[in-house]
Amino acid sequence: MTNRSRHLPGQIKLSRRHVLGVLGATSFAGYAGADDRTPSAGSDGTLEAQPFFGLHQSGIVTAQPAAALYCAFDVLAERPIELERLLRIVTERLGFLTKGGEPPATNPQLPPRGSGILGPVVFPDNLTATLSVGASLFDYRFGLATRRPLHLGAMERFQNDALDPSRCHGDLMLQLCSNTAETNIHALRDVIKNTAGLAAVRWKIEGFLPPHIVKTMGADTVRNMLGFKDGTANLDARNAALMDRYVWVGPERGEPAWTVGGSYQVVRIIRTMVERWDRTPLAEQEAIIGRHKGSGAPLGQTHDREDPGYEADPDGQRISLAAHIRLANPRLPETRDNLILRRSYNYSQGISASGQLDMGLLFVCYQADLVAGFVTVQNRLSGEQLEEYIRPVGGGYFFALPGIPDAGRYLGQSLLEAV
Amino acid sequence: MSASWLSRTLIFAGLVACLGSHAQIAAAADSVAPLAKDTSSHPRGQLSPDLSAALDACRTYVVTQADEFVRRTRAFVDAVKTGRLAEAKSLYAYARQPYERIEPVAALFGDIVKRMDVRADEFELRERDPAFIGFHRLEMSLFAEGTTAGLAEIAERLASDSTELQQRILATPISPTRMVGGASALIESIAATKISGEEERYSRTDLWDFQGNIEGSKAIFVLLRPLLEQDQEFVARVDRNYRRVEDVLSRYRAAGDFAPYDRLTSRDRNALKGPITLLAEDLSTLRARLNLD
Ligand code: HEM
Repeated sequence: MTNRSRHLPGQIKLSRRHVLGVLGATSFAGYAGADDRTPSAGSDGTLEAQPFFGLHQSGIVTAQPAAALYCAFDVLAERPIELERLLRIVTERLGFLTKGGEPPATNPQLPPRGSGILGPVVFPDNLTATLSVGASLFDYRFGLATRRPLHLGAMERFQNDALDPSRCHGDLMLQLCSNTAETNIHALRDVIKNTAGLAAVRWKIEGFLPPHIVKTMGADTVRNMLGFKDGTANLDARNAALMDRYVWVGPERGEPAWTVGGSYQVVRIIRTMVERWDRTPLAEQEAIIGRHKGSGAPLGQTHDREDPGYEADPDGQRISLAAHIRLANPRLPETRDNLILRRSYNYSQGISASGQLDMGLLFVCYQADLVAGFVTVQNRLSGEQLEEYIRPVGGGYFFALPGIPDAGRYLGQSLLEAV
Repeated sequence: MSASWLSRTLIFAGLVACLGSHAQIAAAADSVAPLAKDTSSHPRGQLSPDLSAALDACRTYVVTQADEFVRRTRAFVDAVKTGRLAEAKSLYAYARQPYERIEPVAALFGDIVKRMDVRADEFELRERDPAFIGFHRLEMSLFAEGTTAGLAEIAERLASDSTELQQRILATPISPTRMVGGASALIESIAATKISGEEERYSRTDLWDFQGNIEGSKAIFVLLRPLLEQDQEFVARVDRNYRRVEDVLSRYRAAGDFAPYDRLTSRDRNALKGPITLLAEDLSTLRARLNLD
């Protein structure tokens, strides 16, 4: 909360990341096959680029751009060597897509190599591509069973869930975030085409955030489909020490060595019953969440970044003990280990069988310990009053792979080569 | 399998000679029926003799399948009209299979195909739409409702449509790109509607169609294969992926019948997706490899 208002350190962090980005780009340019021509300069955001190489993958502590796409894949490869080929291809493609450039020309007699939806020159448009692995990748097929991250299993059903099997789990999860939906789709289609025969799409969902708020880089907070600010009390992703403590798997965790630098990723498609919500009195909405709808401030306070002050309200007179924010984070010494980095998007897609709007929260969070993080928080939330208005229908647990230093390595290499 | 196609090619060699130049018949047919809408045209004169011969063999294959389709559809329709329910059900998928082998050519005659092979979800009124006729309308009554009652007219229309299709195919020149493109179009059809099992929702005979599409695609590929000799790696890869699909299909085949589609495990469904996508990608380059455009 308070570190959000400290703008200066944040900016320094950002510019440091920017430097890393440039370094990453430089090393990529030396990579065989990469096209070094980049599009001419412009100020519309299309040339903004995030680093692809580094200790961690981008797209986790990276500031959220306006558009996101999550696509789960089944791996069709049957042998470890083919899995390696798949990961090498994906790495090479994502390296290109996040940097941009001019793809090699196509013989007009042949189908074009890419979809062309960004035009003849691919621009980065702030694209991050984050690759994660699901529990099913560690089954009998590739001999990886003994290398499974300790807490990684198939996402379990929580009491309010109505999970649709066609929107759950997956061997791989590809998170694509950029300034526009087209850029994400361009990247997805490129990956699908280049991994033919090795991977098949299992499910996919797209999300969005308001661009005008995204541009404030955290000074203002986006709202979710319930009309409440979402992300106010999130961990500050620009605070590297916090990220090391809560998000990145470090050597001290007793996890398989290959996981260091990675993070547990939770994706949950949570439908919100917005018609019913819109027929709920404002005071009740605010009581359910624990915050004022307009300002985002904790109930009884005026500023959204203020502390909710639970010590002064032990019986929940001001903020109910059953309020979403109080259950999610009671702010007690013993719940300090349960903090998570949320990175959600809104989604909207068609209508339900009853003609109600099918929209909600594409909830995503990252943590170094899945059980201490999401699972504990979700169990605390189970039975909350908000459940009457929300319905988790899909998603999965994944492990975001550690980053790679340069184009000499491929994503997942530490996993495949671990012993 | 390829041996029998080749022998058919020989048997019909005489027929090919007459089929090559049917422009007059085509013109006659066009005056009564809508033109086949095909954007590709290629003056036959520019084709190498080998390619020309292979395309003639492809055409013979298509014509043979159209004949077979008429024959099997007649038997199926007769069973429906005389109220032999069990027999009609057993002939349903069998009758469709030759059609599935030549679907991309049949698609040139959209007006007929839209009557014969339309699915209920192409109509806003779904099953209740009176324009819902053809195979899948019969399929619905036979398999979902267990009756042949009231189907005579729809059945007879199907039989006459199958004959009309056969005649129109005979009367229409098929462009080389359309013919060669058939190999990949059949695979695209599998990728789009067969993997999902949405085609034969009442009878669950999707694997018959699946097999038909694969056979038709492979028949064309096999006939063109001699022209791809310089592309050994490509040929071997395509052959291998056909085989991978056939291997999975053969596991669901017993005593001349296929298991219902819902019996397919998700593992095998995935095992099909890989080679099907690879075939789709590879065969999409076939026209270029034959220097057709
Ligand atoms: C549709 C479902 C959900 C809605 C509409 C929702 C809404 C909100 C809102 C409005 C806030 C207050 C603003 C903020 O601090 O971000 C909040 C906070 C929070 N939510 Fe949710 N949330 C949902 C699901 C979840 C889930 C599934 C989890 C985790 C299991 C979760 C964990 C949290 C946490 C940890 C906080 C911060 C609490 C604090 O530190 O004060 N939320 N949520």
